[in-house]
Amino acid sequence: MKNPAISICAILLPALLLSACGANSVVISGSFPAPNIGKLPISLAAVFDGNLQDFAYTEYSETGQEEYYIQSGQSHIQLFNAILPAMFDRVVFVNSLEDASVAGVDAIFVPNIEEFQLALPAKTRLDVYEVWIKYNMRLLTAEGDYLADWVLTSYGKTPTETFVTTETAINDAAIVALRDLASTFALSFAQVPEISDWLANR
Amino acid sequence: MKQIPGAAGGLFVLAFLLSAGCTSTTVDEFRQGETGIESHETVVILGRRQVSSYETSADFVECVGDRLAQGASGLNVVPEQEFLDAMFPWFEPRTAPLRTQDLERLMVEEQVALTMRDYGVRYIIWLDGFTETIDRTGSISCTIAPGGAGCFGFGSWEDDASFSARIWDVSNFNSVGTISTDATGQSYVPAVVIPIPLIARVEANACQRLGDQLKSFVIGS
Repeated sequence: MKNPAISICAILLPALLLSACGANSVVISGSFPAPNIGKLPISLAAVFDGNLQDFAYTEYSETGQEEYYIQSGQSHIQLFNAILPAMFDRVVFVNSLEDASVAGVDAIFVPNIEEFQLALPAKTRLDVYEVWIKYNMRLLTAEGDYLADWVLTSYGKTPTETFVTTETAINDAAIVALRDLASTFALSFAQVPEISDWLANR
Repeated sequence: MKQIPGAAGGLFVLAFLLSAGCTSTTVDEFRQGETGIESHETVVILGRRQVSSYETSADFVECVGDRLAQGASGLNVVPEQEFLDAMFPWFEPRTAPLRTQDLERLMVEEQVALTMRDYGVRYIIWLDGFTETIDRTGSISCTIAPGGAGCFGFGSWEDDASFSARIWDVSNFNSVGTISTDATGQSYVPAVVIPIPLIARVEANACQRLGDQLKSFVIGS
């Protein structure tokens, strides 16, 4: 008769070996509220190019192996879909600058992620997971000429909790960072000097 | 023979009660102004999340809110996430008012004032604090063998929950008081074949005492 312990080991050992091979995938997902602010009287085309839509970040372990593969492009699209219509009179979403130039809008908005950083408790010795993201935001005229180019950073953290997986904690911290981006973007957009001048001269 | 399960149950309850008694909680209240609340007015409890090394747990905020809403004299409490979403982006960690003067400035925004009025918010309670584990000692080792499994050893740790609540009166933009609570408790896990966790309910006790004190403070009794 077969020993049950050997059977369990035969299943568990390959599973453990396989789990050590690849990076854990995290697809950031959450919901975002529309900002409770007054709308600016302009029409805007938002261009989400491939860099933003497919943005992913890989976190490496201290030994240089891929540890976490974090896909956050679609969550950024979802975020901008929620906040832009609440900020501007009219918003159209397009995939390229060519499409934007024929959309009949006042300005074209092109967001991009420049940098993504992740801090895990195992490395920082703090009881929080942290996500830090750096963005480059561009605003162009309807013809595609330069209007403004500015940098935004967002930060999110979530505490370590019993029975909460690292993947869930990374997702939660990223959602806080995305809300931080939305709040900073919504409240500082009209204060960017070039945009402020442009709005005043319209 | 039928007496044995009853005796075992009694021992378990006794052990649980003894373990629950291992928590000590102190509450301090500092009142700066008169309070009181009408039946149509609400209270919102928010966690402070500005400090980078820790953040006030959403579960603790919810627990205190539930405590305030309980009973015959329960208050109308707006859930934290619902309020944060309705007020977005004004009460996020980076944008939330830190002082009552900031709240007064914020209320100049038409959308903020309207939403605050729609919810009937009379008091905003800011919770700040965390629970940490200190003095972890002992060890438990477990073994799994084809013939069975078992653990042996003893572990213990001390939890310390420290929270403060600042109460703002939205009707006059004044800070009307601060209530702070500090709870400590020792938890034990003796293991002879089966580990028996005797957990001190430190954060739950802090929540209960702080919630009760906040309720009587807001009502003005």
